[in-house]
Parts: sequence; structure tokens; C-alpha cells
Amino acid sequence: MAESGWDRLLLYGHSWRKDFFRSLVNFNFFGPHAVAVLSKSGELSILLSHPWDHEFLAGHAGARLAWSADFRKGLEGFASGRIAIAGLELMEAKFTSAFHEPVSATAAVEKLRRIKTPEEIEILKQAARLADLGYRHFMDTAQVGMPEYELVAEVEAFLKSNGAEDNFMLIASGGTEVFGMRPPNERRLKRGDNLITELTPQVNGYYAQICRTLVLGDPNADQRRSFEIFHEAQQAAQSFLKPGVNIRDVARVQNDVFRRQGFEEFTGSKYTRVRGHNLGLHPDENPYVLEDVDCVVEKGMVLIAHPNTYLPLSGYMVFGDTLVVTDDGCVSLNQTEKKLFSKEV
Amino acid sequence: MKRGLITWDKSEIPPVVFERRIERVRRLLADRQLSAVVVYSDLWRSNQARFLSNYMPYFNRALLIVPDAQAATLLCGLSPRVYTWIRSVTTIEDVRPAGNFAKPLFELAAERNWKRIGILDDPQLPHDIYKAIHSGPLEVLNVEGRALYVPAEDQTELTMRRKTAAMARSILADELPKGVGGVDHHFVGILERRFRKAGAEDLITLVTNGDSVPAPPAGKTLAENCSVSLAVEYRGHWIRLSRPQASAQVLSDCKRAFEKSLDQPQPGSCIENLGGLSPYEAGPGSIFALHVVLQVGGKRLFYGDTCWRSDAGPQIL
Repeated sequence: MAESGWDRLLLYGHSWRKDFFRSLVNFNFFGPHAVAVLSKSGELSILLSHPWDHEFLAGHAGARLAWSADFRKGLEGFASGRIAIAGLELMEAKFTSAFHEPVSATAAVEKLRRIKTPEEIEILKQAARLADLGYRHFMDTAQVGMPEYELVAEVEAFLKSNGAEDNFMLIASGGTEVFGMRPPNERRLKRGDNLITELTPQVNGYYAQICRTLVLGDPNADQRRSFEIFHEAQQAAQSFLKPGVNIRDVARVQNDVFRRQGFEEFTGSKYTRVRGHNLGLHPDENPYVLEDVDCVVEKGMVLIAHPNTYLPLSGYMVFGDTLVVTDDGCVSLNQTEKKLFSKEV
Repeated sequence: MKRGLITWDKSEIPPVVFERRIERVRRLLADRQLSAVVVYSDLWRSNQARFLSNYMPYFNRALLIVPDAQAATLLCGLSPRVYTWIRSVTTIEDVRPAGNFAKPLFELAAERNWKRIGILDDPQLPHDIYKAIHSGPLEVLNVEGRALYVPAEDQTELTMRRKTAAMARSILADELPKGVGGVDHHFVGILERRFRKAGAEDLITLVTNGDSVPAPPAGKTLAENCSVSLAVEYRGHWIRLSRPQASAQVLSDCKRAFEKSLDQPQPGSCIENLGGLSPYEAGPGSIFALHVVLQVGGKRLFYGDTCWRSDAGPQIL
């Protein structure tokens, strides 16, 4: 703040994106908006938008607390001086208009958040452990004839029973007609399906992720060949990832595996999204692992490398682990076996 | 998880319901001489676009554009790989990718020679999209949300919210008595299973043992006279419900306190607007939740329901 000449730094969160707020005040608010305001002298104020959030946090936060159903009006109390806002882009325009030329602190705070403290890594380990257990439950529960959404209901119940605050989960089932993941639908699982999922449980604010593919029945030759490519690509990323390398090269080493196999076309945006992304208080943090993203990897970053894409061999396939960057490489926080899972049906 | 099963059951919401709502949009466009209205949608703020098209994102942001004559267009932050799925659960056929939302909006406007458009609740657009659209070539007018999103005047909307509320009351009445003595996380897991299997898209559960307001579970054992407060979304229709685990007599007292507060809010009661652009905001609304507090044996018991304001006064959904 001193270097940037900011008088106040606001960390804004709404119900979808609580992460900037929670990076300073790790409180899982219920109302639609919250902002933490840090003055240059270090004084912390918190403005909430629901009376229950206010009452619950009172006496716990060590900060000046207020709440207002009229959030814009509440913000006016912080309008003087040079204002920087992390999450400015997410804020309603009528909120940002409470300030005179606010500047965005989003990128600066994202950069600070990118490197995790040992305490944050411990929480992420717990989340990754829960992701592993959740995936085990996913495999145990999946059966032919079950609609996708019932399987997701079971996994959600398991994760919440075991302390997850939330879970970001996508799923798909089928074969070469499957081009990506989405929320569950009413499709009933069939023998021979690729059943793909990414589980992202949130523990104490932090998300860890696992991506795996389960075949219902014996995998056929194309499913096996496809998985070998994904496995090699993910392993290439994990072997390459260390402090000093560039994120674009973490993407490139994964894509090169597909290129060598004659599948370059399937490394582009028509068939895939990203080769991974950072993890933390948001399940899909910057930087995205893409060949056009320039970001030097540092110790303490936590990200997932997942070469998830469509291949004509067996449709969309997923495979990935949450990785923490160490002094000279990285380690996986997931303990689930790295293989193409199959289940007798 | 936000969200679970997203589907469009046409026996619940027939296409004609959306056609009627779009007709209302077109009348407004004609009245105000606008070429189109733009409706913002994201993972959380999906009420308005859902009302007009059944579009409910599971991630990312979108703009629903309803023109005066042509079919609606969705400018979508999600990958084109899921557009088939989007078309299968919405009224929308024309889905276009959008990272920067202003650019494709301006391209669409240029393609169709639009000069003047409306934006639903324009001042509530996210800052980045607001700035980008307002720095472009179009004349942009604010269309106040209540001009087009009128859940309390729409029978289908009320029917769906009633269905959601009935589901919530039934599941909670089954499970709450069994929850006492167990850990709150486990209880929340049981509710997740029940609601998700019943087709709920989203569920947020707050609990208290009466020593605080309801809050997210924290690994506590649920005690007698605990209270549970739910936010449930079914087919995009949100309701709120709070109930204590208490004797029939105490529940009856709670209900009386609730009814009294409906006429005249009592101290300590909490009112939320469920007819706005977010699922629940503190304050009154045409569809609203009221939660009251009863003190029993030194504990605070929370009781609440979702209501709508009819001509005859507030009605419980």
C-alpha cells in the first residue's frame, strides 16, 4: 500500500467470489456482499450486508464491524483518500461509484495470494486429502443405471459430512460424444462409459482438486491408449514444475505429449480450456496454465496440472493432481493412485 | 456444490411461460424505443436471466440479449463445448462465446443496426462490464429490474417457489428430529443427499445451538432446541426456511410469533428479499423471507418462512 500510495485497500467479496475478502478475513459470510477495508495505518474495518453475518462476527474479528442492507451507503463511509479495490471488476458499478476514481488492486492481491504460506499449504493438504476420500466415495458409489445427479448427491453428502464448506464439481459420462464436463444431468450410467469428474472440496476457505477418469467395465484399447497420453502429459508437467520455470512451459510440455502422438488439434480452445490453474481461496485462480500465459513459477505456489481435453479415441478425458511447488520441484498433495480406474459392472 | 442438477422440465415450466415473459420484454422495448435489453447473469446472480430463458450458469458470466424482434442471444463465458447442453436446458438457440462481453455485444448491435439498448439494472452490472459497455458506441438506458422481473406477479414463479418451500419443509421435518445429538457436518451431509436427489440445484445450511445466529456448520454437536436455516434453490427458484428442533408446543409458539411478525415485524426478526437479482438480500421484497426469534430456556430459536405479498396481504409460500 505504501509503495502504491493507497490510503485504503478494500478487499471485496460477493456470494460467488468471496476469495478477496477471505484472503484478509477468513469468514464464510452468508449475505450477498462483504468488504474488508485496510487503512494505511493498519486499521481494519469490515462491512457486511446481512445482519446475521454481523452478529456472528461481532467479537471475533478484532476489527471495526458494520452492516448495511444498503451496501452502497455503507461503502460511502470509506470513500475518502486514494482507494484501491481488490475485486473491483466484480463489484456492482453502483458500489464503485461511491469512490472517486478507485484503482484496481486485483492483480496485486492475486500476486500476493499466489504464494501460499506453510499454514495455507497445511489447509490445502487437508482439502486434497478430502478430495482423495471424495474420489474414493465417487468410485464406490457409481453404478450402472444411476443418474449422474444422484451420484453427485452422494458425493456432495460425503464431502459435506466430512467438513467441506463447499465443493466445485463437474462431471460427464459416455464416450466419444462427450466434449466436456458440466453439471450432472439425468443420464443414467452405462456399461463401458468413461465417467469423468473433477472434485474440488473447500476446507477452511481453500480448494484442492482432483481429476480422474473411471471406466464402468473393462477399459477398451482406445480408452487405455487415451489414458496413457493423459498420464504422460500430466507426468511431464509434474516432472517439469519447479521454481523459475514459466507457466507457459508447464502448458507446453503437456501439449507436446499430445503433439507427438498426432493430436495437436486437441490442445486448442476448441477442445479444451486450460492445462491447469492455480488453486487457493477460489477454485480457478490465476495463472491459467496456457502456452500464452507468462508467469514465473515460485516456491509455495499450489496449482493443478490437468491436461483435460477431448480426444477422438474415447472422448473427453480428465486427469490431474494438486501440486505444491517446493525448493527444487513439486509434490502432489493427492494420494489417489495415478491410473485409469475401472469398476466391474 | 453450486449447482447440482440443472434441467428444464417442460411439464413444470412449459415453453409458453417463457414466451409470455418475453412478450412483456418486447412490449417494454416498444414503449421505450429500445432495440434490445441486456440481462446480466453469473453463477450467483442468475434470477433474472433464468426468469426469461431458464439459463442458469454453473460457473462464469453471461449476457442474455433479448431483441425487439429476433430470438434471444446468449453471450457466454463458458466454453462452446457446453453450448449443446445450454441449448438443451434453456429457451436459447443462439449462444456465442464471449470473454470480453462488450465487444461481441457491439458486434451484434452493428450487425443488426442497433443504436439504443436497455440494460436491466444497469448500475448493478459488474464494474468491468459496465465500464466497457458505457465506453462504446451504443446509447445505453437503464431498465429497472422490476419492469421485467416480476416473480410475485407470475403464477408459475409462485407455484415453483411453493413447490420448493414444500420440499424444504418436508425434508427438514423428517431430518431435523434425527439430527439432534449428531455432528452438524454430518447433518448437513444428510440434507445435501436428500435435497440433491430431490433435484435441488443448490443448498446452503446454517445451524445454531441457540447461542448465536445461524451460521455455517463448525463441527459442533447439535443439541435440543437447535435451529436450522436453509436457502434452497430448485429449478432456479430460491426459498428460505428456518426451523428449530422443539416440542409441538414451542413450534406452535414460534408459528404464532411468526404470524404476528408478518403483520408487524417484531424486534430481532430478519427480513430478506427473495425477489431481487440476488437470491436473498437483507430487506423487504415482493417475495420475501421472514425469520423470527423466540427465547426458550436461555436459547434462541429461529423460525422462518418464505412469503409473497398478495393483494390480500402477505401469504406463506
